[in-house]
Amino acid sequence: MGIITISREFGSGGETIARLVAEKMQFLLVNKETIAQGLAEYGIEKPVPRLEDLIGGEEDQAGLQYLEAMHNYIYDLAIRNDLVILGRGGSVLFCDYPPALHVKLIAQFTQRVQRVMKLYDLKPETAVKLIKEQDCSTRQYYRRVFNMNWANLRSYDLVINTQKMALEDVADIIIAAYRIHALPREIKDAPGGVEIEDRVFISPTEAEAEQFMHSSEEEFAHMLDFYRIRWEYEPKTFLLEWDSEGNVIEAFSPDFFLPDQDLYIELTTQKPKQAWKKNRKIRRMKELYPDINVRLIDKKGFESLLRKHSIDHDEGEEI
Amino acid sequence: MSDKKPYRDDQLKILLTQEQIEDKITELGKTISSDYAGKDLIMVGVLRGSAYFMVDLSRKMHIPFAIDFISISHYSEQADSAGVVRITKDLDLSITGKHVLIIEDIVDTGLSLGYLLRNLKTRNPADLKVCTLLNVEARRIVEVPVDYRGFDLPNIFVVGYGLDYNERYRNLQFIAEFSRP
Repeated sequence: MGIITISREFGSGGETIARLVAEKMQFLLVNKETIAQGLAEYGIEKPVPRLEDLIGGEEDQAGLQYLEAMHNYIYDLAIRNDLVILGRGGSVLFCDYPPALHVKLIAQFTQRVQRVMKLYDLKPETAVKLIKEQDCSTRQYYRRVFNMNWANLRSYDLVINTQKMALEDVADIIIAAYRIHALPREIKDAPGGVEIEDRVFISPTEAEAEQFMHSSEEEFAHMLDFYRIRWEYEPKTFLLEWDSEGNVIEAFSPDFFLPDQDLYIELTTQKPKQAWKKNRKIRRMKELYPDINVRLIDKKGFESLLRKHSIDHDEGEEI
Repeated sequence: MSDKKPYRDDQLKILLTQEQIEDKITELGKTISSDYAGKDLIMVGVLRGSAYFMVDLSRKMHIPFAIDFISISHYSEQADSAGVVRITKDLDLSITGKHVLIIEDIVDTGLSLGYLLRNLKTRNPADLKVCTLLNVEARRIVEVPVDYRGFDLPNIFVVGYGLDYNERYRNLQFIAEFSRP
């Protein structure tokens, strides 16, 4: 079973690239639609239009069952087929399968907006809204289903910024990377084979480049950069609560650490009523780690920061 | 992408009257004059917000001193993402060996003041202090020393007496809390 998983930022060309890779490799393309069709053949229907909604706060049995069915379906397919899996957390599902190649496609936000506008014939505002919604829902999906940070590039083998490349070229890069990655060393090194060592390997985009969970965090980071304040993004997790067996049941990762100020900063754009959870975490953190400086910048504070700099902040997802 | 809402929707609630501001500035003038008596003082106003405060405060001083102005670029959405803060109008006077008092209208995050302090410190003044009319401790991101302060404010957005919203309202003689519906 050959496996290529492709995770993409909405509007980075993932659909087309996945289809091209599947066609060229003669792999089976697995995406949201083919999964829904496949499961429907077994009489398993999606319980609601949007799976993402289902697996929210409350335990939703139907949603969980569908998820399980979906994951089993993908695993079953993988036994008999070579797959290109687009989205659906493929990189997580096959994280323990070394020959799999996990690809992440990214592109500048503006570039994505342009692509989405063209693709779906949308006005700029609509495209921006759509992209933000899609990003948000993917992020929540990863968070809820796998308890993982979707934006973390370190879970991928290959990260490609598609904005300057033709989609077909991106597909070829993925195929080349897959061949190098998945084939056993002996074959690669065999006489007459391609001289792997001399080839320039496609380097992933800056693995260190910070991927923010939220646009306001990115804005805040830009602001710190502007004023030449050094910062680190979510560098540390503080354990807050343990159960009787010593298992951690609550932890907290403040958004930023400013080493020169020796200060942790948590940003929230939630309204005060919803921000109580964060406030509680910060209070708890102050109790447990009295020597650590942590500060919450709340919705009001963040808004006045933006207002001061005359920046319009579209509401976006609350964090 | 600046705010497109009409200004007539802006809501202003007076927070500090002209009289309260005047009284406070008289008091600050007295304190600063006695603290700097016999010292070579340069008051450095940070443009543009502090212009009004600088003028009024300087008139309440009863010791000799020099004034100068400095201006730095501020973070904005238009700013190049690779851009960094820089001085857009430098001091005309040399501050080396002088007692420097930075005059600010408001200190909130401390980001721009922090930069200014770092920059001026390299010019080796005899000492470097900060006087601000308004102080919003609740918004502090970077710790900065505030030696003289007029009023401590909670985490609210204010305009008037030099403070603007999109360049408006600087000329109000009072300070008001600003909000938009």
